Amino acid sequence: MEITDKIKTEGRSISRRDFLKASGILVIGVGFGNCAIINPIPAAKGYLLVDTKKCQGCLTCMLACSLVHEGFESLSLARIQVVQNPFANFPSDVNIAQCRQCVKPDCLAACPVGALYIDRKHGNVRTVNAEKCIGCKSCIAACPFPPVRPVWNFLEGHAQKCDLCAEARFWDKRGGPGGMQACVSVCPMKAIQFTATVPVQTGDAGYNVNLRDESWGLLGYTTE
Amino acid sequence: MNGYAGKILRINLTTQEVSTLNTADYEPWGGGHGIGSAIFWDLVPYKNISGFDPGNVITIMTSPLTGTMAIGAGARTEVQGIGVQSYPFEWFTRSGLGGRFGPMLKYAGWDGVVIEGKASAPVWVDIRDQAVQIRDAASLWGKDTQETQEIIWQEIGGQNGYGDWLSVGPEETGRRSTQRPAILCIGPAGENLCRVASIIHDAGNGSGQGGFGAVWGSKHLKAISVIGTGTITVADPKALIEARIWAMENFMFALEDYDTSKAMWATMPSNLRSFPLPLVTWTRSKQSRPQACMGCQAGCRSRFDPARGNESSCKESYYYTPSWLVKDYAPSGDEPDPQILAADLAQKYGINVAELETGILYLRDLNKLGVLGPGKQIDCDLPFNRLGHSEFIERLIEMITYRKGVGDDMADGFTRAAARWGRLEEDQKTGMLNNCYWGLAMHYDPRGSLEWGYGSILGDRDINEHSFCPLYMIPTMAAQKPLSAEAFVKLFSDRMPPFQNDPLMLDYSDDNMYSEHICKLVAWHRYYTRFWIHSALFCDFQFPDFFNWAAQGYRGITGEGEPKFFNAVTGKNISYAEGIEIGRKIWNLDHAIWTLQGRHRNDVRFADYIYDTPNDFAFTMPVYKNGQWQYEPVGRRLIDREQFEAFKTRYYELEGWDSESGWPTRSTLEALGLSRVADELESNGNLGAE
Repeated sequence: MEITDKIKTEGRSISRRDFLKASGILVIGVGFGNCAIINPIPAAKGYLLVDTKKCQGCLTCMLACSLVHEGFESLSLARIQVVQNPFANFPSDVNIAQCRQCVKPDCLAACPVGALYIDRKHGNVRTVNAEKCIGCKSCIAACPFPPVRPVWNFLEGHAQKCDLCAEARFWDKRGGPGGMQACVSVCPMKAIQFTATVPVQTGDAGYNVNLRDESWGLLGYTTE
Repeated sequence: MNGYAGKILRINLTTQEVSTLNTADYEPWGGGHGIGSAIFWDLVPYKNISGFDPGNVITIMTSPLTGTMAIGAGARTEVQGIGVQSYPFEWFTRSGLGGRFGPMLKYAGWDGVVIEGKASAPVWVDIRDQAVQIRDAASLWGKDTQETQEIIWQEIGGQNGYGDWLSVGPEETGRRSTQRPAILCIGPAGENLCRVASIIHDAGNGSGQGGFGAVWGSKHLKAISVIGTGTITVADPKALIEARIWAMENFMFALEDYDTSKAMWATMPSNLRSFPLPLVTWTRSKQSRPQACMGCQAGCRSRFDPARGNESSCKESYYYTPSWLVKDYAPSGDEPDPQILAADLAQKYGINVAELETGILYLRDLNKLGVLGPGKQIDCDLPFNRLGHSEFIERLIEMITYRKGVGDDMADGFTRAAARWGRLEEDQKTGMLNNCYWGLAMHYDPRGSLEWGYGSILGDRDINEHSFCPLYMIPTMAAQKPLSAEAFVKLFSDRMPPFQNDPLMLDYSDDNMYSEHICKLVAWHRYYTRFWIHSALFCDFQFPDFFNWAAQGYRGITGEGEPKFFNAVTGKNISYAEGIEIGRKIWNLDHAIWTLQGRHRNDVRFADYIYDTPNDFAFTMPVYKNGQWQYEPVGRRLIDREQFEAFKTRYYELEGWDSESGWPTRSTLEALGLSRVADELESNGNLGAE
């Protein structure tokens, strides 16, 4: 049966399915009545929020991401992507694609060998064991958010994704939830923020938020 | 070769041959301008050819820092070759631009592009990582720069467009990108060989000075597009990100601290602490964002809703300011903002706005004199009754771009136009034509901003290097001076090796303006910028960062910052001063090229008005008088011809050049490791006497 129960919370109408997602329990089964909870997945203890209206399109986050993870600069291997069109109207000229650390990660569900896994040592971030990855790209195909968030490392032949800098080998800072993230640290606009609170999973509103304060308005930019 | 891609793409448009140069062969020059000059030297046997000659070689170079997160140095690209804008000589010249072209070129595996020859028909160059194609541009010829880029994006992105990952190259390689290709292109002005034509990238990045747009047009080169998926190696990744965070914490703006009391100093040239604000003078909508070049910490442009004036900055925004042009200007209610329209037109047609800025004032004044206008001695059908409005600028740009009527003269620059109109001598005497060095528009006045003016006339163009602007902007504008004149000068002079023990370099007084101290100021500036700005490619708007409002004791990052980033990326261990010494070598090579182009010290002179017509503008600047440093208005003065000649003699002697001719000497060149340059000068009869 279709889950249609609605639960009112904070003035928003969310489905029971969303509620279950947010509670961090992955439900696999067609019918609610006879479904089996076979693999409880804990929610990640950290998420990246962005403000696309505050982004200046410098791509410093991408440069930092590839630098601390790979040890070199690369746009194509960055686990956060900023896509922009110089000729477009504000605010549609910029889109930021950060991994959502989904409560119900389709990428993880798609991995046939368990290479994409929950890293319990690092706050349950969804991450890739590169040695285990067989390069099938199922995770990339499964991600429903274009541009898809798992990144194909064509140099080494495996998938990779944002781990909130838990395994950033080229940075002497503790990463992961509770630690530091390179993209957050270097963003000159403070347009990327870490949160431990699970964002609303449906749509983009939970992840693309307003990080603009009064000083932003004093600079002459919209705070709305 | 950490930081370098290792190869430079060499394209001969005549033969359609694509080959490579090894970057390692040119690595001692650092990057950017140094490498560009060295390649030009090697590939152009006859250096006194016209910029329109197919033998002219254009270099488009990056630096080892391009495409990295080195602060203020991630995005620049240096364009060089024989220009066609300067007068009366078409000097070997340079013009840089920001954006993301240089980084994308590096990610594609190329440190630069060298363009030789001339295609028989219009072409564009399609670079996708290592795959390079010279393609037919018949369908692009005639398009403006925005249309050109959008067509190429569509061609490369295919039906799905952008917004998701796109394969680059064969699918099986797995190489992908979410980015649009980065494109350099010319508009119709370049196609029509307008000597004032620019090369444009994205919405608002331009290589303007030199008229390289026209050089591309003469080569039938419409565009170079590049998409890269590769990597840039970094010697010490940890040091690089730590340096970035160190720079942010100690020298950058604090966004949350901004309030309107800081507005006056929110942005300032040559200052790492500038806030992310567009340098536009029109009333901007709040529905906008700051927009930055790749890796930059403070966007100096914006994108707007609606998308008009996107990425325009500084001169593009104010070259057509109605209230400056017409005293009683009254806007028409239903027309778009003429300033924004003017900015977009210059970007789309690809025209240098520095030339337009002085040119429009010149046209206005000639019209007031009654010599230019419909049916006048200079017959010109511009609608002067609509000056300041849209119709005027639309018509002017159309006339220049398509060489209509007297637009045919203006298309070659207003100095050449004045010469054709028989007015050059008179209008340069009065200063009505405000082009003071090499026929190019005056930017900062040589009578006040000595290093700017002297550096420009001893070089090849309006230098457009703002290194010392804080030295005259802060004392002029600050109600309360942050430092005494002595302390302020010391903040700069301490970091000007090899002359750092001479603060009199920054004494701008009348008594000092031709001295050996000012020779050192000019020389230091030429060396510093030739390496750290034009070769390592730190952005001029942020470096040198001598004075910084955010830094402890106002001591900016300069001296410490440049080598910290350079060495983290390259793994080299060069000092700040060693970089400046490489700059001296590059400056000498450039000077040798100009010498072979025909330069003699007698050619090195300003337009007459700099010597003859008093200036009524002054900055408050540091001066040393009666044994004390103080601030004083400086600039309401003339340059004395004889004294300036004496200055030139001192300057040439400081450089180790022949003071009779201004030519480089063998001993100086050999000491710099440039023996073969000395040999070529000697064989051409241009080697200076010892």
